[in-house]
Amino acid sequence: MNVIFLIARDSIRALLHQRLLIALILVSLGLTVVSTIIMNFQRRQINDEFLDGADMNSPAFKNMSEEDKRRMQETMEQSMSTIEAFFYAAGSFGGSLVSLFIFSTAVTSEIRRGTIRLTLSKPISRIQYLLGKYLGGVVVMAAYAIIASLAMVVFSASSHVELSPVMKWAPWLMFCRQLMLGSLAMLLSLFVHPAIAGALAFFAGNGFYSVHNPLYYVLPSYAPFNIFFQILQGAFVDGHDVALLTLYAMDFVILMLLLSWWRFQRKEVC
Amino acid sequence: MPAISAEKLQKAYSSIWGKRVSPAQSASNGSQTNALTGLTLEVREGETFGFLGPNGAGKTTTILLLLNLIRPTSGSVELFGRPATDFAVHRRLGYLPESVNLHDYYTGRGLLEFYAGLLEVPISGRKARIADLLQLLRLEDAAEKRVSKYSKGMLQRLGFAQAMLHDPDLLILDEPTASLDPVGRKEFRDILLELKRRGKTIFISSHILSEVETVCDRVAILEKGELKKVGTLQELSSSTSTRLFLRNVPGTVLEALSKMPAEVTMISGHVTIKCADAGTRAAVEELLRQYNIQPDKSEVETQSLENIFFSSIAPPPKL
Repeated sequence: MNVIFLIARDSIRALLHQRLLIALILVSLGLTVVSTIIMNFQRRQINDEFLDGADMNSPAFKNMSEEDKRRMQETMEQSMSTIEAFFYAAGSFGGSLVSLFIFSTAVTSEIRRGTIRLTLSKPISRIQYLLGKYLGGVVVMAAYAIIASLAMVVFSASSHVELSPVMKWAPWLMFCRQLMLGSLAMLLSLFVHPAIAGALAFFAGNGFYSVHNPLYYVLPSYAPFNIFFQILQGAFVDGHDVALLTLYAMDFVILMLLLSWWRFQRKEVC
Repeated sequence: MPAISAEKLQKAYSSIWGKRVSPAQSASNGSQTNALTGLTLEVREGETFGFLGPNGAGKTTTILLLLNLIRPTSGSVELFGRPATDFAVHRRLGYLPESVNLHDYYTGRGLLEFYAGLLEVPISGRKARIADLLQLLRLEDAAEKRVSKYSKGMLQRLGFAQAMLHDPDLLILDEPTASLDPVGRKEFRDILLELKRRGKTIFISSHILSEVETVCDRVAILEKGELKKVGTLQELSSSTSTRLFLRNVPGTVLEALSKMPAEVTMISGHVTIKCADAGTRAAVEELLRQYNIQPDKSEVETQSLENIFFSSIAPPPKL
């Protein structure tokens, strides 16, 4: 177990020294923040349009008809949902890119650089090595999810708006989806070039196929983890569904890791 | 129990999809290379074994097979009586690769601490062990420096330090002195001799024949994946030439000797008889016995490792 943690720690260290990855994380977080600022700005514009810059306690608001007040409230809610949905979409897309980058290069970059030879010449089994690499990636992705969640909380607080209930599950579901993508990317990278593995993993979701296509039942299902439309429509996501999705993600990740292990056992690392 | 035992080891590389085929098939297949063809080798515990061969002979492939980094097409490898696929046996070995690729985001000391963790070097003695190795390999001043800032020679020395961290029973060294300057080579040779004195098994693949000649008990010569020769330097010497040294030899004996196929030289009363083969030597000894003369000394002529090496491999193409 200790060896797995050592490999994971080394993996995190290696990832934090990858300029491309750091740039990708910063761009992803920046994209999230910028999209929120833009949407927040638009919300203020709507606010100004209705209230001419005044707040709800102002005489302008009190003099409005009930119909106008209701319409304004709906528009404000819609605007907030859109902000949240875009925040989620930006965070989710950026996180997916980061995840694909981390996991598709986790083992292959060490093979390419030749550093794996020394590591595997130590008393380490290949499954320990693979689990350590995956665990390192999981920690970095968890840090990314926490930072993205904090950014969301900070921006919602600075905009004086309350987050919709569905948003409380967003970071977790995003994280689960990214781990699924990552595990598939890691497996595929043991067969093909990491860039191809990343692209294949991203497009391998069964959302691209109809239910009549047999591939639909074989390929991973990322779609239920995407709650963009639920956020936009203010729909409810209950804890039971989240628990089932978490189990599905765990099941998928374990299966992918077992297949990766099978492949890695046979892979020549020279 | 041998430290290393390879039995009919074959390794074929294919350029198409990494697919392996049998050596018989490969002979007729241009896209595929036989890196090793039936290598059978044994390295005894406590011996220093030199593994020689020109570029592309299959030396590094053999080492990668020993470390289970690649799989044999056929045959088997054992380390200390256990299959090379058993990763637990790696506790007893240290490895220095030909091109030392290290995690360059660590400091020298940090990297050794990482490897010491993987090797489960006891925490109590870890710091002291690392400090000793850094001092032994003249890296203490660079210990806190990033590995990315190290020169080639420093990387080689740091690579050697990581191989020795857990005081392994078997050291597998692939071109260990390739990037070292003459001083570094001398120091490295002294360390090897000390390890040899302590009974460690050392397996060295090297191009530097003089180095191998100085430290190795036995050598193997490999060419195009085939084992050409294996044995001690003396065993490998194909020469059966002997020199007999005598003093104050009577003229009658000298006359009799001059009629024999041996080469006789005399300088200031010291006679040297060079016998090209065992038959000549037997005839000369018989003659000396008849005259009741005992040689002061006899010497079997040995070839240098360089001569053995070049006589074992195909001659290089003429320019």
